[in-house]
Amino acid sequence: MYFEAESEGVKYQVSVTEAKAHWRVGLREEEKDWIYYDITKDDYRVLDDTVSLIFKDSSYLVDVVNKGTEYTVYTRGAYKTFEVYNEEALLHESLKAGGGMGSGDSLNSGMPGKIVKIFVKVGDELKVGDPILIMEAMKMENEMRAASPVKIKEILVKEGETIESGATLVTFVQET
Amino acid sequence: MFKKVLIANRGEIAIRVTRTLRELGITSVAVYSDADRNGLHVMLADEAYHIGPPPSAQSYLNYEKILEVAKKSGAEAIHPGYGFLSESPVFAKAVKDAGLTFIGPTVENILAMGDKLASRELMKKAGVPTVPGTDGAVLDADEAKREADKIGYPVILKASAGGGGKGIRVVHDPKELPGAFRACQSEGKNYFKDDRVFIERFVQNPKHIEVQVFGDTHGNVVHLYERECSMQRRHQKLIEESPSISVPPDVREKLGAVAVQAAKSIQYVGAGTIEFIFDNKTKEFFFMEMNTRLQVEHPVTEFVVGYDLVKEQIMVALGKPLSMKQSDVKQKGHSIELRICAEDPVTFTPNPGKIRKYRMPAGPFVRLDNCAYPGYEVPIHYDPMIAKLIVWGSTREECIQRTQRALAEYMLTGIKSNIVLHKNILQHPAFLEGTYTTQFIDQQIAGKKHRELFMFVDEHVFLISAAIEAYNQSKSRDVGDYNLASRWKRYGRQNSMRD
Repeated sequence: MYFEAESEGVKYQVSVTEAKAHWRVGLREEEKDWIYYDITKDDYRVLDDTVSLIFKDSSYLVDVVNKGTEYTVYTRGAYKTFEVYNEEALLHESLKAGGGMGSGDSLNSGMPGKIVKIFVKVGDELKVGDPILIMEAMKMENEMRAASPVKIKEILVKEGETIESGATLVTFVQET
Repeated sequence: MFKKVLIANRGEIAIRVTRTLRELGITSVAVYSDADRNGLHVMLADEAYHIGPPPSAQSYLNYEKILEVAKKSGAEAIHPGYGFLSESPVFAKAVKDAGLTFIGPTVENILAMGDKLASRELMKKAGVPTVPGTDGAVLDADEAKREADKIGYPVILKASAGGGGKGIRVVHDPKELPGAFRACQSEGKNYFKDDRVFIERFVQNPKHIEVQVFGDTHGNVVHLYERECSMQRRHQKLIEESPSISVPPDVREKLGAVAVQAAKSIQYVGAGTIEFIFDNKTKEFFFMEMNTRLQVEHPVTEFVVGYDLVKEQIMVALGKPLSMKQSDVKQKGHSIELRICAEDPVTFTPNPGKIRKYRMPAGPFVRLDNCAYPGYEVPIHYDPMIAKLIVWGSTREECIQRTQRALAEYMLTGIKSNIVLHKNILQHPAFLEGTYTTQFIDQQIAGKKHRELFMFVDEHVFLISAAIEAYNQSKSRDVGDYNLASRWKRYGRQNSMRD
């Protein structure tokens, strides 16, 4: 499962895959490399609603509080709050961004996915609601449409291309 | 012996008093505001009475209401705890006038020490050392020099209205005095329109040292030795210890004798504390003020001298003589108290709210005076202190190690607390050496980032834990939908079977 997280202005990409006896947790801080940890289910145990985590041979008692997209982790008197977006939330953000792109000068993807079809070429002038491209994410095809009258400046992706979260897909100039 | 005593307080101190009352077979009466119906002090007392809405002025400071409850409950005496009404001469008198016993000093005692300036004058007359200084403003540089020579260097020059670094000069060398005097005078004039300048001894490496005293109604006064409370933030104590590593044996005896002399001079009755500012360079001490009540930090004294101070207060209130003579009082080992507060460890701002997980330390020589529990909502209306962790060790070193151990066991989640700040202080060289002063937190800790304070945690632990939790939640949402669907199916099947 793919997540994006943010805390104190630092963005992280997170992947969690579950196997029978462990979770593989991948972390990537902005501008840095992916780091993978295999956390065994023996080392991460939910006891009496508190988590006992053995990490690098250190024993932590952890409590995670979740409110909406906000996750606060408490351990050893320290605490840290993350905004965590799962695929569903990212898709939601992505569609919101696609629908509300009149505020910026580019169309960005809110989550990783694949470009299925591109409807426009450079120089095209679009009216509100004209389709720009179709992106597949979370096994769903999402049509991105113009939220305001724009002229296409650049197309940075090709059909069939796999894209990362946050990638710029198309840039444009606002038509007034 | 009293049959029933009302405690006009809340939180950990109300529980502390309840404990001794129960040990003595006295029925305890708690009072609570609307904000404290779920308070542990209510649950642990024998009886509990509602006294009003959350604001202190309408509840814990509303002495008419408290006296009304005392009468209704049939309490014979009132223990005021600390804070709230504990040092109110009006309350002490009202209790007496109502025919009840105030477990505390006399009204005269409270009045004598209630005013800071007046009490200093009173103590000066009783031969208690106060910070040497000029009685009034000095007029010119020559007079300033004569006064400073009398006071002894280093001195601090203060413009009458000075503040914020303006109109204040510390002078170590007599040669610098005339220049510093003129600078203070002109800054006072320019910034505050007041060119009067006072001179006082400048206390170097200042420490807060206080002496616990006890008097009875038979004229006996003893001291129970010193506590050091130099670890402060926002001018409030954070860590207290006894004995003080900075006080040499001969100074300790002198401190005790001076404290007894001060208390005797006002015929003091009950538990009291005489606070001194202590110059850790010259080992001189000067009277600051007297607190005419039980202190927050009284447990460190209890651990080191072995007397129950609340029990002693009750006995004195009953008119009995003190249970100890001065020669009986011996310091044994070392004790440290940490104030555990619901507050941000970096900004020191209160952080009330609901506690989720709460696990207190235990084990040998560890005492928790606590009022929190899992699910407890720390109210916004009162002091954010939720517990005191008090530890005893045969030496200071052992006591520190034991306190560090106890802190490692302490778990508190859901709200921010200063537990992690204590962990940092307890391994700081200035604390370990005992050289810390009242400025320690401002100079060494304040301004640190959360990340620095959180050094006890591998940075990745936070994100890994959040990630696994987020993963499990996403997963269980799917499973939940599935279960819901299958429950409907099962329900439908069961219904059709019934038909």
